[in-house]
Amino acid sequence: MSLDVPPGEIVAIIGPSGVGKTTLLRLLAMFERPLGGSLEYGGTDVWDASEQRRLEYRRDIGMVFQEASLFDANVRRNAEYGLHIRRSWRDRLRREFADLLGLRNGTSPAMEALEVVGLEEKLEQHAESLSGGEAQRVAFARALAYEPDFLLLDEPTSDLDPRNTAVIEEAVREAGDRGIGVAIATHDMNQAERIADRVAVILGDGIIEVGETETIFEDPSDQRTQKFIDGELIY
Amino acid sequence: MISDTLLPLVAAFPFEWTYVRSIIEVSLYVSLTAVFLSTIVSVPIALLVGFRDFRGKNFLTSIITTGMGFPSVVVGLVVLFAVSNEGPLGSFDLVFTTEAMILSQIVLAVPVITGVSLAAVSSVEQQVRDAAFAMGGTRYDVALVTIKEARYGLATAVLAGFGRAISEVGGVLIVGGNIAGADGESVTRTLTTAIQLEARQGRFETAMILGAILVALVLLVNAIVVRLGDDGGGYR
Repeated sequence: MSLDVPPGEIVAIIGPSGVGKTTLLRLLAMFERPLGGSLEYGGTDVWDASEQRRLEYRRDIGMVFQEASLFDANVRRNAEYGLHIRRSWRDRLRREFADLLGLRNGTSPAMEALEVVGLEEKLEQHAESLSGGEAQRVAFARALAYEPDFLLLDEPTSDLDPRNTAVIEEAVREAGDRGIGVAIATHDMNQAERIADRVAVILGDGIIEVGETETIFEDPSDQRTQKFIDGELIY
Repeated sequence: MISDTLLPLVAAFPFEWTYVRSIIEVSLYVSLTAVFLSTIVSVPIALLVGFRDFRGKNFLTSIITTGMGFPSVVVGLVVLFAVSNEGPLGSFDLVFTTEAMILSQIVLAVPVITGVSLAAVSSVEQQVRDAAFAMGGTRYDVALVTIKEARYGLATAVLAGFGRAISEVGGVLIVGGNIAGADGESVTRTLTTAIQLEARQGRFETAMILGAILVALVLLVNAIVVRLGDDGGGYR
């Protein structure tokens, strides 16, 4: 399969459950080494590169999972985590002491990311006290805060109510406007139609079709795509 | 009611305070040092066994589990052999020293701390570790997140190790010898071995008071560790 996600473009990956959307995103996020084929970044096979170089590649990517998976900490600390681990150990300790002494103030990219998802008022609230929708919005802000080049979203709104879904979708659009390339796996056709610039259809034998959103939904070139959209393709 | 019973006992306490203080100091020195060193060894082992798949993992896990209930007398015997003139550590001249007692308690505490830590780190959800990795975390960052998420379980592991160490009597009695110096201060006598000695000599009141001191120390250390584990919920 072949899929490219240019800067600023939102690509929806649609397909039935269990077809491999999550596996594809995990491969792109370098969780696992592919059993066959290659994953290239800037023309370099990431699995031939050194661990340090692969870490640099990974740090260009943000990922949001189906479940929020927040850390046992408050909203601010969750949102800052990506920035935190990019700092030197000395800087991390210095900031910890500043936190302990209450000396930190001012805005940070993490706070700006929380503003994007409308949770800037809940900075000091513990993650456990958030609703499912709020937790997922924090997870999105956490991935956005360190300004990655790419965002991988694995069905981020499948468990959310319409209001929280709308907030996340708006944040996805804003990420695209900022020049971040977004790949979002979803089984929600309407969502793909609402937010994606392009759509990739993945079935049992890989990505069968990639095209402009309008084209995929109104005039797909592969009959299986039409059947899947019409709900006739059962897996 | 309790004060009616305990106060006469305390008033009739037959030991010099310096003697009792030296016993407490030896007990705490031996057990806290052993638990500190055991924790340094045990937590990385727990992280390694919890996260990595390798050949012999199940065997190692069963050894850890078995070690959690290992008889302290047997451990004392093995350590005594190890530090005796014929043993591999004979050249260090450790027989009847606090260092040998620490060694004995490390052997007892490591399986307990490792076993409970393993359960704690294994209970941290894979998704949380994945989130740390996905944001560009190194393996050390992921390990730190896991330690942070498992901090209550790890605190429990340390407490269980401390409880095992400070309350055991067989091992420290064999390798330490329950020695008090000519000046009346403890050399290798701990609270447990002193209690055993007092009870054997029929001084039950004294043994009871030393027992109460031991329980109070355990409660104090528990309270401190629990407080440290509950730091407000930030990652480190």
